[in-house]
Amino acid sequence: MTIPLTSNRRGPLSGLLVLELADEKGQFCGKMMADLGANVIKVEPPGGQNTRRVGPFLDDIPHPERSLYFWHYNTSKHSVTLNLDTADGKAIFGMMAGIADVIIESYAPDYLTSRGLGYDTLSRTNPGLIMCSITPFGQTGPWRDYQTSDLLHMGAGGQMASTGYNEEDVPDAPPIAPGGGNAWHMGCNFAYMSIMAALHYRHVAQEGQYIDVSIHEACHLTTEAAVPNYIYRGEVVQRNTGRHHSVGPSFASQIESSDGGWVQTTGSGGNPTPRRLRGLAEWMDTYGLAGDLLDDKYLDLDTFQASLPHINSVISEFIKQVPQEEAWRGGQKHGYPWGAIRTLDEIVEDEHLKERGFFIEVEHPELDRTFTYPGPAAIYNGSPWAISRRAPLIGEHNVQIFCEELGLSKGELTALAEGGVI
Amino acid sequence: MTKPRALDGVRVLDFTWVRAGPMATRWLGIFGAEVIKVEWPERLDSFRRNVVTVPTGIEPGPNSPGMFADQHVNKRGITLNVRSDKGMDILKRLIAVSDIVIENFSSRVMQSWGLGYEEQKKLNPEIIYVSMAGLGQTGPDHAYTTMGPSAQALSGQTFLSGLPGQPPAGWGWSYMDDSGGMYGAISALTALRHRDATGEGQHVDLSQMTTGITLIGSAFLDKTVNGRPSRRPGYPPGNRTTWPGTPVMNNYRGPTTAPHNTYRTSGDDYNAWCVIACFSDDEWTNLVNVMGCPDWAKDAKFTSLAGRLQYQEPLDQGIESWTRTLDKYDIMERCQNAGVRAMPVQSSENRVEHDPQLKARGMFTELEHPVVGVRKVQNAPFRLSKNSVEINRHAPLIGQHTVEVMEGLLGISHREVAEGYDDGTFWPSGMPMYAYVEEALR
Repeated sequence: MTIPLTSNRRGPLSGLLVLELADEKGQFCGKMMADLGANVIKVEPPGGQNTRRVGPFLDDIPHPERSLYFWHYNTSKHSVTLNLDTADGKAIFGMMAGIADVIIESYAPDYLTSRGLGYDTLSRTNPGLIMCSITPFGQTGPWRDYQTSDLLHMGAGGQMASTGYNEEDVPDAPPIAPGGGNAWHMGCNFAYMSIMAALHYRHVAQEGQYIDVSIHEACHLTTEAAVPNYIYRGEVVQRNTGRHHSVGPSFASQIESSDGGWVQTTGSGGNPTPRRLRGLAEWMDTYGLAGDLLDDKYLDLDTFQASLPHINSVISEFIKQVPQEEAWRGGQKHGYPWGAIRTLDEIVEDEHLKERGFFIEVEHPELDRTFTYPGPAAIYNGSPWAISRRAPLIGEHNVQIFCEELGLSKGELTALAEGGVI
Repeated sequence: MTKPRALDGVRVLDFTWVRAGPMATRWLGIFGAEVIKVEWPERLDSFRRNVVTVPTGIEPGPNSPGMFADQHVNKRGITLNVRSDKGMDILKRLIAVSDIVIENFSSRVMQSWGLGYEEQKKLNPEIIYVSMAGLGQTGPDHAYTTMGPSAQALSGQTFLSGLPGQPPAGWGWSYMDDSGGMYGAISALTALRHRDATGEGQHVDLSQMTTGITLIGSAFLDKTVNGRPSRRPGYPPGNRTTWPGTPVMNNYRGPTTAPHNTYRTSGDDYNAWCVIACFSDDEWTNLVNVMGCPDWAKDAKFTSLAGRLQYQEPLDQGIESWTRTLDKYDIMERCQNAGVRAMPVQSSENRVEHDPQLKARGMFTELEHPVVGVRKVQNAPFRLSKNSVEINRHAPLIGQHTVEVMEGLLGISHREVAEGYDDGTFWPSGMPMYAYVEEALR
């Protein structure tokens, strides 16, 4: 494309043309690329991608242009509509693929190939093309054609076997799948990584390639110690309330604070030392709640280590008497890596995030409104990660891309619309 | 013919430790980058002390934890005393010949060593420097330290998990370390693409905690756009999309629907559970057929989405009365073959020993490690048509490659390297050396 469509022209992916044919499984990968400066064109079916029908919606009024879910995952992208079941749709897509650097797609295996739009075909005219398929189980294997969802991936991938409650805390509780649609994120993170690796290889070897990403495998690889515990010890982990899975009993580390919040003390991960404990205990003592932790016996490393269960319980009892915000920050000031179980109610007010430029105001000109979005998680000092615009409206860039870039006339565009192609 | 690797020729100087950072370099190593892990025996990576994954019958020590063996494949390891002038000088020479420097220390540790980005840039104008502190290098709370559990708590991830009216279930491991590790690799690779395009390196100041917030974006917008509070009845809704008896509402996992839950299966195994979700009337009708059209399921109240949402309790009870009679894999096959979305809740053992999909796709490779023996290691979830992504190097024993790197990469003479062992640059004075180090020095 000759006309730069992104306003983040200094982004690290600036200059790349990316086509995204993706639903919930691949849209986050496209968002990362778009926010980092690539020119990402979302190719939607006429009427819009199905993810536009997922809530929540602006003011709770369902409409394909009001999905906050779609808004978040499609920032900085452009949109064209194209029916890939029509000859014209395929031809136009072929033209776009001929000049693209990357295609991200999350259709069922064989969908594009059966339409003559597989990698082997598209790369014939564009050998530098990198195409990444993001599918539930990859392109091969006995489960290849199984249907899934975020919940199903969390079950099969191992997230649920590690997450939930101790029986004494919540009897008969099921394994829990954490919320937020994270199975898709896991797949997209690895897809993004492999696309970047392929771009580097293309820079060196001057050739593109095809990438097959499995969401199931991505989830499987996101369960930390569960698999090594089994491989090296033959042990299967159990679920614990608000903390790490474990083979045996472990300390409670999620402690309810006096104001009904929770503080995460990270348990043994806090790497406590006698010296740090002394500082913490002096602070606890200002509340009159240090128990016996100021006793000099805890300065002795052996006594300290042997007493950790007791020390943990005194600290936990202390946290129960203190408000969440005061408790976790106090712990941090004394070298303990504590956190608060924050909700978005607190997060959107966070001064630290404000100073790091995390909250981004994004204009929605057609609504004449501006909304606050989550912005960059990393600060690139040489090339910014920045949301350049709100998610596109359905086919918002049809004229710009089909007419101005690909040379179709307005009359042809009308015919394509009437023919159900766009 | 062996395929080339995508990152052949890319050298990564790796100061990472614990979990998140080492996972970042694990992925870079799997793509073929030459990863050199810098360690010091008196300040061990905590996973070198992770006794709970040392195989039974093997003496605990820095080379024996299973966790370390799995997360450090395809890397080399050197020992270097960066607190000595000579060690620091060697470190600077290593930076000068590397493409990427990556660390997950607390904020500004590298700066305190005199090795912030500006100094690194003087040593190597094109250097890519990725720092992965929990809260980043700037901002009022930058000096706070986090572990995975506190980072995910602060990011809002923990609160989004659990049953309504109960404490948060959170994530049963350091999700922000696994995920933060991916973002470490993502940051390095993104900056590498920028350098390929422009010739310019840069510093990427990653905040692991913050990556978690971008993963709950629709909840974030529901707050900032609609003003919806997170503390509300029925939220989070467990494994359901919305909790019965509370206002029907999207809770950020995808479309609002029922059935969408966990169900007990036959047997008394701890993980004898399956998950089933129906996203349309057709999928529900298919499920009714798979269950053998029981009378309860034919009730008119279940024929519509509205009815299934309203009567989720009897709906889920009815489904569970069927799932309890069958094995979880049997349920999956029956359902999937009939167009119903169902999967087993798989334990680690299930995934390693049984999962036919992971097996068919070669998720596990057998690799020999001199201390823990021949073990399965986990591969990668991507296949590249032109590049190999194989695992071909076991996790480094501590200090295993010091001599090789000093002589082969920096061209330091064998005699000088030996002197460095005598003067405490490459091994702490007075600490007994491993036989493999002695061997390399001969």
